[in-house]
Amino acid sequence: MRIVFGILNALSALVLLVGVFGVVQPRFWALDVPAATIALVELLSALGLLARLPWALRALTVSAWVSFVLGLTLVTLIVITIVFLRGIHGDYGIAALAVSSLIVALLVPYTVLLPALELLWLRRQRTESSQ
Amino acid sequence: MTPRRLLRLFGIWLGVLSVCSALIYYRVRLDRTRPPQGPYLVSVWERGARSARTVVASDPERALLDAAGGRVAQRVVEQIVDSAPIFCRSWLLLGMSLVPARDGLSATYQGRTAYASPDDLLVLEAYEFKFALGPLSLVLGIDVNKVLGALAQELGTEPAELLRHGSFRRFAVKSDAAYPRKVSAADVTLEALKSSVDGAARYLARNQRRDGSFRYALNAVTGGDSPEYNYPRHAGATYFLARAGNQFHDTQLQRAARRAGAFMKDRATLRCGAHACIGEGEQTDIGSSALAILAYVELLAGGNEEFRAPVLELAEFVRTQQRADGEFQHFYSVAEQHPIDVQTEYYTGEAAFALSRVQSVSGDPRDLDAARRALSFLVTRSPWFLGSRYFWGAEHWTCQALADLWQRAPDRVALEFCLDWQAANRSLQFDSPPAPSNYDGGVMRGPFVVPRLTPTASRMEAAVATLEVARAAGVSAERIQLLERQIKHAFAFLLRYQFTPGPTQLMSKPRLLEGGFPGSAVDLHVRIDFPQHAAGALLRYWELEQ
Repeated sequence: MRIVFGILNALSALVLLVGVFGVVQPRFWALDVPAATIALVELLSALGLLARLPWALRALTVSAWVSFVLGLTLVTLIVITIVFLRGIHGDYGIAALAVSSLIVALLVPYTVLLPALELLWLRRQRTESSQ
Repeated sequence: MTPRRLLRLFGIWLGVLSVCSALIYYRVRLDRTRPPQGPYLVSVWERGARSARTVVASDPERALLDAAGGRVAQRVVEQIVDSAPIFCRSWLLLGMSLVPARDGLSATYQGRTAYASPDDLLVLEAYEFKFALGPLSLVLGIDVNKVLGALAQELGTEPAELLRHGSFRRFAVKSDAAYPRKVSAADVTLEALKSSVDGAARYLARNQRRDGSFRYALNAVTGGDSPEYNYPRHAGATYFLARAGNQFHDTQLQRAARRAGAFMKDRATLRCGAHACIGEGEQTDIGSSALAILAYVELLAGGNEEFRAPVLELAEFVRTQQRADGEFQHFYSVAEQHPIDVQTEYYTGEAAFALSRVQSVSGDPRDLDAARRALSFLVTRSPWFLGSRYFWGAEHWTCQALADLWQRAPDRVALEFCLDWQAANRSLQFDSPPAPSNYDGGVMRGPFVVPRLTPTASRMEAAVATLEVARAAGVSAERIQLLERQIKHAFAFLLRYQFTPGPTQLMSKPRLLEGGFPGSAVDLHVRIDFPQHAAGALLRYWELEQ
């Protein structure tokens, strides 16, 4: 699992960096800072996991919690935006509802599920090492 | 973290999110279907400006009768159906909290309330806040600065002070104004089409200057014109005017078209190498020449022989711009006398259609061959790009070229291409319900912005051309019925918003605008290509169904 999480974290970080800094214009700190933070901690944890460095599990813990909290925050903001616009526009905004739901569905595996799995795995690692 | 703790965390998050969502939804929503209960806004409008307003709880028919006594004064009564608070005092949230063309905004400050009704917001041109994001032009809610400025002025304060200390509500109204008209697909009759086309053609003729050029873009509210001008659009308007004149055997329209044609022939014809071309300045495009060809061919059909030699010269120019693969070099440097191999939207389709049309005058097989190759280039979809079935450009000229070429050079691939494009357009077409009834038939350009008339109209020019070919080619009845339904619903949308006579209470010179098609429900400008595309589509259908 160590190698799988290392590769997945490296891939997530790259997708995030290319997506936010290569595609999205113009620069806006509210998106850039969280995206850069997640990408940085994910890259560090990927490096640690793949190179079997001693601080790898600690870095993975930080990366998983940061991704998990920011991921949940992002999904929360998108859902609240959908609800707000749905309240304002009624059925007229149905297309935006579909697009936003698709974005949430695409985000959840990387920003919520992956860090959640990592946190569960870390718990098992700690239990095994204490036994 | 244990699985149980993780599940509990998710559960708490989901619960909090659900409660917050329900609170937000029920706080901001409006019930537009309930019987109106709120006060009446009674306004008097004179020449596009509001001269009086009062808010009454009952008997609105007695309010402001004296103020409405003037010759040009119009009294409008709007009753508030429902209202809801604006979520918080944020510039961004305020901008996103109104539905364009449907909602008004009230502000209460130090015990006084001012109302910006939908009519006020239309006159302010505040329903769309446009901004540029790189090459993209985007719309982000309403123009908060304009609305705050107007409300603050009524309340005797500054906009920033009002945003900080005022409280805001959005409201929906039921108005007694007659615009937009109530038109459904069943009302799209040949008589209604002819009347609409005639009105649009007369709009252009009425707004033509002595030299043959047109008032380019009239603001319906102020009656003012834009200082800009555009030769491809002038040529397109001339083409439509000539077609309408010929079809209706109307000498007044034919004369106006001839003047507009002479303007291009005598004032805008340049030398591009050995050939004539249309434009101005150091660089010209093939779009102006291609649309001038379409106009000249129609003018020739109306008996104006002075356009025969110029149209043949222009056709030679457009042909020489074509590459071996069928694509065109879209520009020509007049200063340096050489073609520029750069492409933009529309021009290849316009050139294909123009060369097909001119062949009926020139009899030159090279024109037909060039048009056929251009059409083939336009409709070829790479088998390696799956997205070619789902991503579309503006193909309205392409499908008109298909129809014009069909009897002489039928292209089944082009027919399938145009049928597929119309299927894609159908998926973007508003259906009411759930869409607001006024937008039924319009083509969507984004989830929260109102549909524009011209993109809908140009797609219908192509839809009618595709329908014509589909009938001739024996396409299945089911596909033809889908096209016919799509066209009639879109035409109802266009007719609803044509100025016949339009929201006259908001217009300073309504007679000048009569027959024009505006940009959208929230854009009361009439540019010369708006009636060209809208009435051009209606005319094509009228011709087909004769």
